[in-house]
Amino acid sequence: MAMRSQVYEWSIIAGNSARGRASGAAGTLTLAADTDLSIFIGGKGNNITKPAETTATQFIVIEDVACSPQLEGAVQVRINTTDYFQNPDVTDQAGVPGLASPYPRGAPLPGAAGVGNATDVSTSVLPSFTLYPSIYVLPGQTFDVLYRSGVGLAATDAVACFVKYTLYDGPDALIANKLLEMGITVNPNNVDWYKRSLLEGGMA
Amino acid sequence: MAMRSQVYEWDCEGATASALVGTKTSIFIGGAGNNITKPAETSATQFIVIEDVGVTPSEYLSDGSITSYRGLKLASGNEVAGPRAYLQVTINTTDYFLDPDGIGSDGVPGTAAPYPKTTFFQGNFNLYPDVYVLPGQTFDVGVTLYNSSALSSTVDKGELQAFVKYTLYDGPDALIANKLLEMGVSVNPGNVDWYKRSLLAGQ
Repeated sequence: MAMRSQVYEWSIIAGNSARGRASGAAGTLTLAADTDLSIFIGGKGNNITKPAETTATQFIVIEDVACSPQLEGAVQVRINTTDYFQNPDVTDQAGVPGLASPYPRGAPLPGAAGVGNATDVSTSVLPSFTLYPSIYVLPGQTFDVLYRSGVGLAATDAVACFVKYTLYDGPDALIANKLLEMGITVNPNNVDWYKRSLLEGGMA
Repeated sequence: MAMRSQVYEWDCEGATASALVGTKTSIFIGGAGNNITKPAETSATQFIVIEDVGVTPSEYLSDGSITSYRGLKLASGNEVAGPRAYLQVTINTTDYFLDPDGIGSDGVPGTAAPYPKTTFFQGNFNLYPDVYVLPGQTFDVGVTLYNSSALSSTVDKGELQAFVKYTLYDGPDALIANKLLEMGVSVNPGNVDWYKRSLLAGQ
């Protein structure tokens, strides 16, 4: 299990219906407009115990990010202190809009002012965005995923974010690094290809 | 029939919804819904590759005034339609899906891996690389939910379902699957066939 498909879902839910591990306290579930909130350690919704990071023997490839399309939601990836998605003039931006990368795929199209219209079952938002090339988190780096709402979240709103990534551990992380040096895309197929190459070289 | 595409569907019909909240329920031997007679395991001559999983989806909304959304229930004032169900694969005693801090999570959300897939729930997740169950291992698939108010007090048919798609390699094909694993080659029917052709061509 040295290459593993992993997911992380974050949600902020009115009424704070708790989900498993650390859940945001009731009464703290609002979010001001245009404010970044870490989905890992932001203190609202479900969180993890420490910032997301790779050890010296891990390599992560983030393959998909998505968020609820309502409330002008957007999702940004931060590696160490650098935001991945930038404006053409290299200034800060919110990230990938939920309208471009919806979670779930098929969520209803928001109504006026970006407010979700839950009763509009006739619409369905499909992805306009694919995270390709994928985002690499090298050994020893920290990473974060930030949610931002253009209109803010009220205490009665519920939104979610989703991250899909592959974790390479141990020898496979070394191979991932090697592929990166070689300029080859890091994915399970190419890691397998490199292993086969090593075996064939050893057998020759 | 040494390589066989297999499926398992679980329907939680008849279970008490409130008893399921926050607890991982095995879809094989959890005592809720349809079950099998013993824990799922591979024999010494079997190799299983789990290729897809899914569970009933949920939707996060900003409208607490409705009680039904695309076939999913909402309790009055609740912002979440559906059971908020998550699906975890466990090999022997190890959970497959972890949070980024390395601690076991509830697994894949049904919202990302819905079952059934519909126009409105198309899925954000595909299980790649696949999950391998080696010869002699036991495996389990557990469902955890947090929103029982989206279910009937006694769960109705179709309200909470899960699905697993896997390929079972048996006999000689299981040996080849092990060999492919040693070689670092993905185990799938195409590669097993490729290995057989290589053996034949070498004779």
